[in-house]
Formats: sequence, C-alpha cells, structure tokens
Amino acid sequence: MLKVFGFVRRNAALTHDEYRAAHVGYHNSYGRRLNNIRGYVLNVRANASIAATLGPLAGAVTRGEPPGFDDLWDGWGQLVFDSLDHYLSAKTPARDKPGPNGLEEDPRVAAVGGDGPWLYSGSPFQFMVVEHVAIPVRRPERKIFKLVQFAKRRGDLPEELFRSYVCGRYAVQLQRLAGLRGLIINFRTGTDVMHRFFEPGAEAFTADGKAVRDRFYGTWDAITEFWFDHPQQFVAARGAAAGLEVLETELFAAVYYREVDETVAVNPNRAPAPAFFFR
Amino acid sequence: MYKVFAFLKRNSKLTHNEYRAAHVGYHCGTSRRLKGIRGYTVNVWANAPLGPQLGDLGPTIIRNEPSGFLDWWDGFPSVLFDSPAAWVQAREGEPTRAMEGGLKIDPDWTYGHGMYVFDGIPERPGEFRSHHLRMIEHIVMPVERPEYKLTKLVLFFKRRETLSEAVFERRVLKDYAAALASLPGLSGCLLNFRDPDPDAAFRGYFADNGWWNSAEGHSMRRQFCSQFDGAAELFFDSVDAFVSARRSAPLHALLCGLEAELFSANWYVEVDENIIVMPNRNPAPAFYYR
Repeated sequence: MLKVFGFVRRNAALTHDEYRAAHVGYHNSYGRRLNNIRGYVLNVRANASIAATLGPLAGAVTRGEPPGFDDLWDGWGQLVFDSLDHYLSAKTPARDKPGPNGLEEDPRVAAVGGDGPWLYSGSPFQFMVVEHVAIPVRRPERKIFKLVQFAKRRGDLPEELFRSYVCGRYAVQLQRLAGLRGLIINFRTGTDVMHRFFEPGAEAFTADGKAVRDRFYGTWDAITEFWFDHPQQFVAARGAAAGLEVLETELFAAVYYREVDETVAVNPNRAPAPAFFFR
Repeated sequence: MYKVFAFLKRNSKLTHNEYRAAHVGYHCGTSRRLKGIRGYTVNVWANAPLGPQLGDLGPTIIRNEPSGFLDWWDGFPSVLFDSPAAWVQAREGEPTRAMEGGLKIDPDWTYGHGMYVFDGIPERPGEFRSHHLRMIEHIVMPVERPEYKLTKLVLFFKRRETLSEAVFERRVLKDYAAALASLPGLSGCLLNFRDPDPDAAFRGYFADNGWWNSAEGHSMRRQFCSQFDGAAELFFDSVDAFVSARRSAPLHALLCGLEAELFSANWYVEVDENIIVMPNRNPAPAFYYR
C-alpha cells in the first residue's frame, strides 16, 4: 500500500479548535470521497501539552526536542492508497453525487472541497512513508489515547541500519508495553508525492515553502504511532520498561512525543478493495 | 445512547452499487456533520446472497424469513447520539467550514439531494420514504474493528407471540445473548430491540406534515415493523468463520433450541459496513470531534 502523511499549519484566521472543526468537518467530508482512497486518518495535536498528559515521565523520555516544533503543524492527515498511480489520480471528480437522472460527477472532490486557502497556512508538508506494523491496531468504540513519537536518527548511524534496528530490537521492546492496542512505525521517504498532487504554483514549490518544509523534515526521521486506552497505561508501562532509554540513546539523536486526537475518516482497509464503493 | 436505524430504499434511477456510492460518498459527506453525532455506520446489503455461503447450516439457523425483505431497503445507517434531544437537534447548522473570514456554517450544507439517493416521493418534493426506527441497544460484546473489512451479519428476529415483551427481552438478553457472545471468532455483538413506538425516531426530527406522518407512511411502517422486533449485529472475520463458529456443538444445539423457543422468525442478512463516524461511547470531548 502507499501511505502518505500531510502535515498542515492552520490558517491564521482560525484558532486551533476552529481548525479542528474545519478540517474534521468540511474538509474530511471531501477527503474521504477521494477516488480509490483506502484509508484516511486525521491526527490533530491535543490541546493539553505532553508534559501535562504524561507528567514527569515526559521529561524523562524526551531528548533534543526542537524549539518551536508545534509552530510547524496543527495536524496531519494519513492517506492510504493501493498505489502511487491511485494517489496521483485521486483528486479527480468523484462519480458519487446523486441527481435527478442518476449518479453524477462531483467536481468539488477534485479540489478536496476547495477550502485549502482558508484552512491552511501554506501548503501541506506531504511525504510518503514506509511503515512497519508491529502490532495491528484494533479500534474500540470509544476515543482512545494516541501517542506519537518523533525520532531523529543519530548522524553516525547509517539509514538502513537505523530502520533495521528500530523495526527489530526497538520494536520488539515496544511491543511489550502493557496495554498497547496498536504500534506502527513510519519512516519518511524521499519519494516525490507533491508534484502532480499539488498545483504547480502552490506555496510548496516556492523557495520559502521548501525552506520551511526542510526545516520540519530536519527535526525527525521516524514517526511511531502508539494506541492505548488512556495515558496512564503508557506512563506505567514505559516507567517499567528497563532498557528502552539505553537503546534510544544508541539509535536517536532526538526523541519527543505528542498526543493527537485521531479522527478515522476512512477506516484503513488493508484487505483487497471490494468491487464496489466502500469506505 | 440514543440509537437509530434508518432503513432506506434506493432511488429507482440507481443500481444497488450506484446507491452505495451516492449514500456512502456524497450523502455521508453531509450527514457525518450532523450536530452532536457520536457514531455512524452505513450498512448496505451484500451483493452476494448469504444462503449459498451458509450451505447446509442455513436451513437450521434461518426460520420463516419474510419474503421480499430486501425489497424494503438497500441499506440502513446506524447512528448514535447522546440523547433524544441531541437527535432532534442534529440538523441544526454549526460552523464546520473554513471560509474567508474564518470558520462558518457551510452555506452548501443541505439534505436536498436525499430524494435522489433514496426513494423520493414525486408529490412531496425533497422528501423520501424511510423507516427510521429507534433501537434500544445492549452491548453483548464491545466491537473492535481491525484495519481490514470485517464481515457483518445482522440477525433479525421476531418475538414468539406466546411470550410477553418483558419475558422475551429478559430471555433474549439473559440466555440467547450470552450464548451468542460465546461464538468463537466474534469481534463484537450488539443486540437491539426495536422501540415499540415505531414513530419515536421520526417525531421531532422530521416535520409533522412529512411523509412519515401520512397515511401511507404509517401503513408502510406498520408493515415493515411487523416483520421483526429486534436485530443483532455480529462481527466476524469472514462468513466462513461464522459458519464454523455457529456449527460448533453443543453451542449450535443450544442456540437452535433458544431460537425455536423465543423467536417465531429469525434470519440473517450480510451487510457491508461503512464506518462514517467511528462510534465514541466515551463522553464527548470539549471540541469538535468525529
């Protein structure tokens, strides 16, 4: 499957909570209709700080967090498609609009609602990830605690070894955290998923747009998604997990966490696509 | 929570698969923004008939299925709200769209297309026939959804008339549901009794002069409701997993015995469940959340 993350900064006219409503509400209502989309999750940064949520543990597990990190994003979407071709052709009119003569095409889907200029500040930072599903997530019928770890590779560790060690020794230790409902590790790739997806004149392709994106990319190399029922489970499990800090020192130049509120706009379906419209 | 099933028949201009796209795609882009909605799935009957997949198990677990049951509907949304008041107020506009000047109520948000997705009524422009039924839910086994499409089977059942409603509900919950929950491979089981008041979900949500309150509306709803008194939602990895689980003795004999004792009719419909708003049964957060 092709998994793409798009980090966004809210428009200056919106508060963080107003941005939530606009992204989760109107924008997701179009995004979920993108042609051939197989999964769509939106993560909005939680209102409470990670220090408030994790307590003293937050300081103990954080190293080298870049200043002003939260100024670079308010949320990010996670899109899943079967292929790069499907992703690049997703923003086309969707034939799902009912009319007096049957089904019609809706051109608004091609623009994902057309609200980008008022929802965002600048273009999304959009990139493909390769994922390691260490524990497949199973979502209950209640809001669960999603924690995200941002990790930067140590400069003296080659990229392939970094990925191998993180997916190997490190993931095995993380999998043992009591109460874990799901664990997915994502590595950013250099595959171009912005050209042919955004308009050529988009802010992303200006010098300033590239500079701010590169600054963001310079702060981390891997994003790990953790799902628990509640934060106390992570605090207890991580506090009891001897050896993780040693491994993190060996692997990461920086490591820090954020809680996000997850909206499942399209529950990812990793099985083959049905032969009919399905979300 | 306040739960409503809305059985809906497709517009005659649409095939079943086109109806899927119109309902799950365009329509849900509107309805997922209903104010205060706490959970929302759309269940569309599967294209392949279930009978052949059940094999020789079928005749032992299906009794007196009403003929033409699937002619009444193509899909049914299941929606969750915090209260009857929240349900009635669901179509009040709230700001969910970023526009020039900030967050606004979406001026394009409308239900006007409903008559083209569902069974529109030419003499009542903008309206469509529906069977919105309030369901009284019991969580037999909490549902957990993986990141792949689950098989969802809906067991419709009708109370044996010799049992009072109170005895029937008690026995179904105490005996039958407990046996169902022990089916191996089950990923969730929700048991729903239809509110004896067939108008409960219409009143206040639709205008009093709407089709639901017409002679035809009352008559059709009476007929539709006469077919079942409740429905259980069962989640498995596959139909084969259900068949294998349901065959297992002595559970099979226990369930068959209870079905004969409690139900005058019981049958299954496989549905493709589209998750529009992942149900959140925890208290609502203090911010916009779906």
